Amino acid sequence: MENAAYIGLSRQMTLRRELDVVANNIANAETTGFKVEQLLVGTEIGERARNDQIRPSASFVLDNGVGRDFAQGALKQTGRSLDFAIDGEGAFFTVADGNGDAYTRDGAFTIDPQGVLVTKAGLPVQGDGGDIILDPLQGPATVGTDGTISQNGLPVGQLTLARFDALGALSKDGDGLYRNRSNAQPIEATGAQIRQGMLESSNVNSLIEITNLIEISRAYERVSKMIENANDLSRRSVERLGSAN
Amino acid sequence: MRALRTAASGMAAQQLNVEVISNNIANMNTVGFKRQRAEFQDLIYQNVERMGAQSSSQGTVVPTGIQVGLGVKAGSVYRITEQGTPAQTGNDFDVAIDGRGYFQITLPSGETAYTRAGNFSLNGEGQLVTDDGYAVEPAIQIPQDAVDVSISKSGQVQVITDGTPEPQVVGQLEIATFFNEAGLESIGDNLLLETAASGTATPGVPGDPGFGQLLQGFTESSNVDAVSEISSLIIAQRAYEMNSKVISTADEMMSVSANVKS
Repeated sequence: MENAAYIGLSRQMTLRRELDVVANNIANAETTGFKVEQLLVGTEIGERARNDQIRPSASFVLDNGVGRDFAQGALKQTGRSLDFAIDGEGAFFTVADGNGDAYTRDGAFTIDPQGVLVTKAGLPVQGDGGDIILDPLQGPATVGTDGTISQNGLPVGQLTLARFDALGALSKDGDGLYRNRSNAQPIEATGAQIRQGMLESSNVNSLIEITNLIEISRAYERVSKMIENANDLSRRSVERLGSAN
Repeated sequence: MRALRTAASGMAAQQLNVEVISNNIANMNTVGFKRQRAEFQDLIYQNVERMGAQSSSQGTVVPTGIQVGLGVKAGSVYRITEQGTPAQTGNDFDVAIDGRGYFQITLPSGETAYTRAGNFSLNGEGQLVTDDGYAVEPAIQIPQDAVDVSISKSGQVQVITDGTPEPQVVGQLEIATFFNEAGLESIGDNLLLETAASGTATPGVPGDPGFGQLLQGFTESSNVDAVSEISSLIIAQRAYEMNSKVISTADEMMSVSANVKS
């Protein structure tokens, strides 16, 4: 009989989580290469909230995943020669750390004291032959759209881009890094291009996120009201039946 | 509620962003100043439901999982070492570097600092020094009877003294380059220090391969672009506002729950 409250509660729990996801989107609205996320909410299929022969049955609400929108973010010019943006959806730079390869869309790289091209966190960026080593005395590095790096007119390596068939299998590690959790191997991303001197903005649309925020807040209020009404109903019936005695 | 802390991290990040932008704007007319940029990264993710986890006894797995992010943090604040425009001053001891490299300055402590600000002058002993009176390295001594000083593109300092029409070489300016210029540490007063991240300095003669050349009578303007700084400021302000909106929404939702009548 308390199902209305429990169903309402299941929705409120998902709404709170939706708010968490939206809050993270907004917090990362200015994070390079960030991809917007959305909580996927559906009806719980397994457990029915109420089985009834006559009336339609009711279900709990369940969040069954976080969807990531890998759509291209806007490119912004920075004027820094070691900033790189990927122009093409679903392609990633490969970086190496102690636990194997990680993938990122954040191309704000730098060079370490040994001349190795590294990310902000100091992880070496991978090219066709492993780490990419630049010689500062050979002048600035120029990078073609296919990732070929040349210094002083001579090629010194190539940045490679990786792509995955199932992007859902990538999990996020923080620091703009994705990790491959499936057995699928990355494939070379041929369609994507590298733009030097640019960075990819996050693809968070602030209008949509603010609208989501309002929707979540209002839905939460409505569900709360619904729980209140259901409570009220049972309280009144108890009162009325009690006084009949 | 995670949303509150997530939004707070977003506000802190945007605050840092505004601080960096305001420092850029404040130093718009500082000789040799390089603009900085705050870069952000997403914080760790909480695995509410791990992808690949079994969702039934039939062996079906969760395809995407639920990872809820916990906000944003500052990844780094870069110095963008783009060339600034040389501005003509007509002062003989103003020297701008066109290209890579830093002047070497001896600090009173004996350490060597590096700078792009080439607005030098002479001290009481005729030595080439910075605004603060720190000596340029290697030391350049200008004789008292010099009537004209010329500094060549390759850093050779020549003087003409009264009575001798032939210019005399009195010193050679050197500049230093680094593997990773962005890794230098700013200590204020236009000075930078070598760090483990920058790598060791490679001194050299201006104009050699890999080194910039010198321009006498010019100073390097800052590379701050007012228009892009102001638009970054507006974007940062809006982002800050949006995060505060999240906080008020989360607060509202909590108060709704707290006020449910039993």
